[in-house]
Amino acid sequence: MNGLVAGYLPLFDIYLIHLGLAFSQYIVLRAGVFSLATAAFAGIGAYTAGIFAVNLGLHPALGLLAGTLTGMAAAIFLSVPLARLRGVYQAIATVAFIQICLSLNIYSENLTGGAMGLNNIPKTVGTGTLFLFAALATYLIWGIERGRLGRAFNTIRQDEAVAASLGINITRHQMLAFAISGALAGLFGGLEAYHSYALDPNQFGFHLLITTLSYVILGGRNSVVGPLIGTAILIILPEIARPLAENRMVIYGIMLIVVINYLPKGIADTAIDAIRARRLKARGDAKS
Amino acid sequence: MSTLKLTNLSKRFGGVVASDDVNLSVPAGKIIGLIGPNGAGKTTIVNMITGMLPVSGGHIHVGDTDITHAPAHEISRAGLARTFQNIRLLGEATVLENVMIGFHRHETSSTLAALLSLPAASSETAALKGRTLALLAEFDLQDFADYPASGLSYGHQRKVEMARAMAAEPDFVLLDEPIAGMNDVESDALAEIFQRLAANGKGVLLIEHNVRFVAKMCSYVYVLDGGRLISEGTPDDVLKDPTVISAYLGDQHHA
Repeated sequence: MNGLVAGYLPLFDIYLIHLGLAFSQYIVLRAGVFSLATAAFAGIGAYTAGIFAVNLGLHPALGLLAGTLTGMAAAIFLSVPLARLRGVYQAIATVAFIQICLSLNIYSENLTGGAMGLNNIPKTVGTGTLFLFAALATYLIWGIERGRLGRAFNTIRQDEAVAASLGINITRHQMLAFAISGALAGLFGGLEAYHSYALDPNQFGFHLLITTLSYVILGGRNSVVGPLIGTAILIILPEIARPLAENRMVIYGIMLIVVINYLPKGIADTAIDAIRARRLKARGDAKS
Repeated sequence: MSTLKLTNLSKRFGGVVASDDVNLSVPAGKIIGLIGPNGAGKTTIVNMITGMLPVSGGHIHVGDTDITHAPAHEISRAGLARTFQNIRLLGEATVLENVMIGFHRHETSSTLAALLSLPAASSETAALKGRTLALLAEFDLQDFADYPASGLSYGHQRKVEMARAMAAEPDFVLLDEPIAGMNDVESDALAEIFQRLAANGKGVLLIEHNVRFVAKMCSYVYVLDGGRLISEGTPDDVLKDPTVISAYLGDQHHA
């Protein structure tokens, strides 16, 4: 039994890290920003944390803090030009941002190790730490969802004119969503750095973008449960059916197409809607 | 008592003049009508007042505050609320959530408290929910609180939008064709709500097609045609004005 649990622990670690990244992607979509920059923010956080440990020999707590703050700073910086764009143009701009970060990373060989990556990072983060931060991130997102910010984000996403006419400052709220997204991605990028000994620049490219986006689209975009479920399914699936693991990206692509067509709200949101509708119907029946 | 005042308000889309030197004032506690044929520029004026269209010339004041070039969310915070000509509810949200967002400008918990869901933020959310339910009861919508807003009938959706505008507790309300497509029973129910608003000291600007409804509701009426005010006065005077009749019906009917 113990052997079984230990065997799946690395998978659980990956789940916890990717959950944080999924929430980073989730929160911007929630606020009506079609940003895909999570992969870039994660890279910035991971490399900052890595450099703090390897080049400067600083304590991992400091490295994580620095990773979080640089991720957040990059996000706030990016939110200024993005505030002028909408929809697919935001997506294109953020994909370009990922490419820029990737290129800068490869060129600044002295700092980041360039294409060779950053190696010999001391492993200081285990399952316990990951679990703690994943739980905190879940709490943060859950709290936002049921409070003032969640209400404002929902309104902006659905109708900006209504939001503005009710006194919601759209630019400020979207910048806040960006800051949270950047901080989460930076933090979990840093955790990834301290968990896996080495960083490779291509780890934070197009591949990670598709992965994090898939978690949210598959799971659901409008409830905290969405990323929890989406990430779990997409991480476990290739392990259950081993032959699938080879073609992970193909599977992701097919699942996305199927989900977008048949469950456009994602698994969790569709289920929540169905439960809610049944409850309302039961109440209506009881009344009449 | 403050007044919503438009001075020489103008809007040009390229060469098209959608609004030309419009002077209009909505005093607190009064229902003021703005009528005019299709394409007269009524909605353009509402959009300029609420900051959704940039103003080309002239000024808009609420009391002594100049809001001519203020962004939309600040205009709302100055005490203006509006409803939309084509109802704009949040389709994914319930009736309760749709109305609750109206309270946004009165929420006081700090961003940090909201981020960490500290007790201050949670209790504010709970209090707002209570106030929303009370407001829904005022509009006779309490039974629909948990239903998705998009599934309601047209008349009920109008009322939800109205309740949302009221949640903002505005000093001035701009109603853009609020009874379009409603039957008499529904529009009478709304008429009562509008009169209550004015009685509570709010200034109401009623934009309407239905001349009969405007005549019944308003103490003063402005008539717009081709972006220009062609007449103003009490409903009786305005409806007898030959320029108004010809604007609505064309010249040949005038004789």
